[in-house]
Amino acid sequence: MDIKTRTKDGSTIIEIIGSLDGNTVNEAQEIILPLISSSNVSMVLDMKECGYVSSAGLRLLLMAAKQLSVQNGVLVLSGLSDEIQDVMEMTGFNNFFKTFDSVDSALDALRKGV
Amino acid sequence: MFRVDLHPTHVCDCGKFRLRMGQPLPFGATIVPGGVNFSVYSHAATSCKLVLFNKHEKKPFCVIPFKDEFRIGNVFTMIVFDLDFENLEYGFHMDGPFDEKEGHRFDKTKILMDPYSKSIGGRDVWGETPDWDDLYQHRSRIVFDDFDWENDHPLETPVEDLIFYEMHVRGFSKHSSSGIKHPGTFAGIKEKIDYLKELGVNCVELMPIHEFDEFENSRISPATGKMLMNYWGYSNVGFFAPKAGLAATGKFGMQVDECKTLIRELHKNGIEVILDVVFNHTAEGNEKGPYISYRGIDNKTYYLLTPEGYYFNFSGCGNTLNCNNPIVRSMILDCLRYWASDYHVDGFRFDLATILGRDQNGAPMSSPPLLETLAFDPILGKCKLIAEAWDAGGLYQVGSFPSWGRWAEWNGKYRDDLRKFLKGEPGMVGPMSQRLQGSPDMYRWEDRGACASVNFITAHDGFTLYDMVSYNQKNNEANGENNNDGGNDNYSWNCGVEGETDDPEINRLRLKQMKNAAAMLLVSQGTPMILAGDEVANTQGGNNNAYCQDNEISWIDWSRFEKNKDIFNFFCKMIAYRKAHPVLRSRTHFLNKDYKGSGYADITWHGVEAWNADWSPETRTLAFMLCGMHAKGGTCDDNSIYVAMNMHWDAHSFKIPELPDYMSWFLFVNTDAKSPNDICAPGKEKKNKNQSEFLVGPRSVVILTGKDNK
Repeated sequence: MDIKTRTKDGSTIIEIIGSLDGNTVNEAQEIILPLISSSNVSMVLDMKECGYVSSAGLRLLLMAAKQLSVQNGVLVLSGLSDEIQDVMEMTGFNNFFKTFDSVDSALDALRKGV
Repeated sequence: MFRVDLHPTHVCDCGKFRLRMGQPLPFGATIVPGGVNFSVYSHAATSCKLVLFNKHEKKPFCVIPFKDEFRIGNVFTMIVFDLDFENLEYGFHMDGPFDEKEGHRFDKTKILMDPYSKSIGGRDVWGETPDWDDLYQHRSRIVFDDFDWENDHPLETPVEDLIFYEMHVRGFSKHSSSGIKHPGTFAGIKEKIDYLKELGVNCVELMPIHEFDEFENSRISPATGKMLMNYWGYSNVGFFAPKAGLAATGKFGMQVDECKTLIRELHKNGIEVILDVVFNHTAEGNEKGPYISYRGIDNKTYYLLTPEGYYFNFSGCGNTLNCNNPIVRSMILDCLRYWASDYHVDGFRFDLATILGRDQNGAPMSSPPLLETLAFDPILGKCKLIAEAWDAGGLYQVGSFPSWGRWAEWNGKYRDDLRKFLKGEPGMVGPMSQRLQGSPDMYRWEDRGACASVNFITAHDGFTLYDMVSYNQKNNEANGENNNDGGNDNYSWNCGVEGETDDPEINRLRLKQMKNAAAMLLVSQGTPMILAGDEVANTQGGNNNAYCQDNEISWIDWSRFEKNKDIFNFFCKMIAYRKAHPVLRSRTHFLNKDYKGSGYADITWHGVEAWNADWSPETRTLAFMLCGMHAKGGTCDDNSIYVAMNMHWDAHSFKIPELPDYMSWFLFVNTDAKSPNDICAPGKEKKNKNQSEFLVGPRSVVILTGKDNK
């Protein structure tokens, strides 16, 4: 797994490349959590290049979203594969996220204030 | 904050994992900071090793003995640090005596599943042929026990207000006609929540969802050439794990989250969840059965054994769980508490519950400690506890199951009496008067209330409703047992021709008989239970024991929904009527007197003559009136209700009891009339022209609502 971060339109975009599972989740956590230490952060997790998210991975996403929301921030997901989206729906994780087809449409929505 | 007792003190022999002594409680595998705490009980084992695998791999990557200093009493416990527990499967080697006469069957070569496994691998996808060469078939896994319940809470609906709906998770939506994305799974039920709401049921009773092995005793049916499986799943592999094969995400090991999501979403829609739990035996069978867990961990603790060390077989399935052994009792309690607190389950139905009241020699006890413990347990305090009050050892306790005011029962007598009355047997008006009142003859003596009786006409065991009015004889050839399996006392009647027919008169009568049955069930005091699919006249082709049929025989055929909208509509409106009228849902039994000064007793009995029921054996007509002012023990006001049941083959005119001047009778149901005149929406009843008499057709039920003239 590899993680790339960049900033655009005042939002942090985190691209996850590879699988987010028990092997990689700690590494991902160490990168992502420090980015939400300040308030009013809006964050897009770009999952276009992420083929698999395990139970531990979904928990990391949920934890990040919850931590952000208590600091008036927001985390949205973009580019989820159909399979991951499906798994999230069946396991109830989809309730906690707004999802978008692409980073651009996510940024667009954040600009309008999701 | 750091805890000083979470530092490793040892290293395993391979040098890869750091260890320390663990905590004996809770049993099982628990995630702790930096590692996993393992804890397993065995009274007679001399040593124990933890066997660790990567998921799906045949060979363990590490075997770690529990050091002597890691044992407390009869519990082996250890923390292993640095594990990738999401990709982990674990088991135990247990060493100890092999002495059949003494009840010991230790075999240190076997890899044994943890009895407290919260997730079990090995049958991840339903029906996928297992690797039979794998020495470890049912593999303990570790789960995340965090789940965002979004403020969900068990619904705690009063039991008298429930309408149970018994379903098989797979059979409910597996059929190709179900039209959903994830047929046959927990996620599939979630997709059908709107359907359940339309029907109006408010509690689903799920047939076994604990991990079982669908390949147990799998074989080819000589009659059909099709594979027979352990489809129903009344044979537990583990008690704490949801069956992976019933989850669409089982292949990803996410069945726990999927199952919890289903429960959360059902709760959001006002629907409770009751689990059918099987504590009477396990999937290990008798002496010839496999080592899965219990017999290799502590045979003598977990099973009822004969003095010669063989397995008692009160379950009819090879062995009997030793339910009143204190260790097993604790495990059962731990299990139920886990499902109630971690899964927010609303209650439990106990399969062959009578076994739970047998002592360690198999004799029935008068105050079984397990049943008493469950009745008074604080965590289970609001859970519904429902017993199937018989076992395969011949003990039948319907009406006498030890209850402490907490236990309800599947009322098998209700089913039998209603069926006999429905088919026109003589001598049934007396028994039926009891069944319609919540069987006070069975439950009043201990003041158990009407809701001690779970009323049902059909359940997974036996004919479906449609088959009950279409077959005189069971038709179980496909089960491959020469039609010897399944019950013979079905009290069914085919209405003139055995099986499917084109005869419109017979089909009309069958439809009417189904409506009669539904009407009587839903106006009975006690809690009604409907078998999933009966509302669309689902058929099993006369198979009354489809436990092994993982195919179209037992899957609900949703195309029947379109064909049988008439009966579906009838069920929906009857359920809505029950919900609209508290007078139908009394928690306590009637007092048979007027204690509200209404001029009418809470319940009064009638026949073709008002106020004069004919109780003679040849009578097949019966009517009763419920006084609305006595609804729910006189605590709320409702309309009055009059129900006339004519199970005779000729029409009879019923004289209707007179109402006060300001009230009249309005027609809600007449099963003799063709749809849409058979039933109306509750509250939309039309006033009867004739207020003193009603001609009730042959084999028909009429329901009238007594309310203010308007």
